[in-house]
Amino acid sequence: MMPIWTKSGKKHAVTLLKVQDCHVLRYVSKEESGGKTAKLLVGGKNASPFYKSESAMEIFKEAGVPRKQKVTTFNVTDDAIIKPGTPLYAAHFRPGQFVDVTAKTIGKGFQGVMKRWGFKGQPASHGQTKTHRRPGAISTNKAAKVYRGKKMPGKMGNIYRTSFGLKVWRINTKHDIIYVNGSVPGHTNCLVKVKDSKLHTYKDCNKNPPFPTFFADGDEKLPEDLYDEEIFQFTDPSVTFA
Amino acid sequence: YFSSSSHRMSSDGKPATFQPPPKPVIIDRQQQREERRFLSPEFIPPRGRTDPLKFYIERKDMIQRRKVFNIPEFYVGSVLAVTTADPYASEKTNRFVGICIQRGGKGLGATFVLRNVIEDQGVEVCYELYSPRIQAIEVLKLEKRLDDNLMYLRDALPEYSTFDVNMKPVSRLDHEEIPLNKLQVRMKPKPWSKRWERPKYNIKGIKFELPEKKMKEAQKWSQPWLEFDMLREYDTSKIEEKIWKEVSEELKK
Repeated sequence: MMPIWTKSGKKHAVTLLKVQDCHVLRYVSKEESGGKTAKLLVGGKNASPFYKSESAMEIFKEAGVPRKQKVTTFNVTDDAIIKPGTPLYAAHFRPGQFVDVTAKTIGKGFQGVMKRWGFKGQPASHGQTKTHRRPGAISTNKAAKVYRGKKMPGKMGNIYRTSFGLKVWRINTKHDIIYVNGSVPGHTNCLVKVKDSKLHTYKDCNKNPPFPTFFADGDEKLPEDLYDEEIFQFTDPSVTFA
Repeated sequence: YFSSSSHRMSSDGKPATFQPPPKPVIIDRQQQREERRFLSPEFIPPRGRTDPLKFYIERKDMIQRRKVFNIPEFYVGSVLAVTTADPYASEKTNRFVGICIQRGGKGLGATFVLRNVIEDQGVEVCYELYSPRIQAIEVLKLEKRLDDNLMYLRDALPEYSTFDVNMKPVSRLDHEEIPLNKLQVRMKPKPWSKRWERPKYNIKGIKFELPEKKMKEAQKWSQPWLEFDMLREYDTSKIEEKIWKEVSEELKK
């Protein structure tokens, strides 16, 4: 995470996400998958091919791509279908866009009710016998049962969570890095899924995105760094209020 | 040592000829002295599992900012004057003079805290080195102190933290070594904000006037095994060399 300053002098914290060898693996049509739209399987970071069975490696062999550590699905409209085997780059996103980031949260193991659900526990002294971090009562007398979903101790973390509506401030095309506002679930160097935001307020925020994606061998030659309009670039002199 | 030409008449019979004085031999001590290297502490990456690519990209941004705006060399204990842009001031700038008591943070978020006593009120301001609102940083007095962290000045007598707001910069030659101020500071009576006599703070710059019994009791909290703990070692010499080369080459361009 890094600080970033706007032209008015405000500071924002930014997370850096690197797009590491992403390829489209397979196209699944609407009828085949049974959903409402067609799906595209996309694979992430490269990994060793020796630790998986032959049947699992079929998808990668078909696409002609080394084995990927993580495979995710994206629901796509028919005009955004991409041929399997095309690489995806950070330039697929543009500064000023809003993005949702999904990842597995940091695993905390088996945790008690105070850390997992934020219960208040009991006082440390004044006669409490062996009860300082316990949940206390778990149901009422009339219910005569414990409801499903009752908050109790258990394994915390290591589940998929999404941060919605994160602004993209800057894109580095040389190293394929996306600068995303705020924090993102997961530990450092974990694999993360970045999608266009599904929030209603950011529906029309994408002004001219590269559609269906940014092709490296195409005609567009992008500069090394793409900045949002409001960012203070370090090549400018210091900010003054006139 | 001048020899007047009149002497010539006595030694030889010939008339006085002008003998030019011997050419002086110039020994350039400046080039012989080793160049002093200073790498700002925020360039050194902390120990961790982060990708070195992240530090490389952050360093590029830091060097870019340094090319446009000069961040001078300073240490904890030097007196600085910082002018920032302030939208609510009459002239849109705000100048603060103070002694640097702490330099924290790594990378672009590096900060330094300046302390001064203004009209009997101690004031500390924490500035970010790479913030675009800073318009000028001047070093009024460059010196080092015995400690890396002068937070104990909060519990010291106010005379040690007062600096004149209109102080003139102290001139110093380029090749001189940075003076080490071995000042031992006198403290206000206890209670202090932190127990500075304890060995965990390792403070050398205070003149403790506590009784012997209290000093011995404070040594109970010493952890003499810490200096031998190998897992805590972080040798930065090689990293510093590499980063120094990278940074100095980029800044010369």
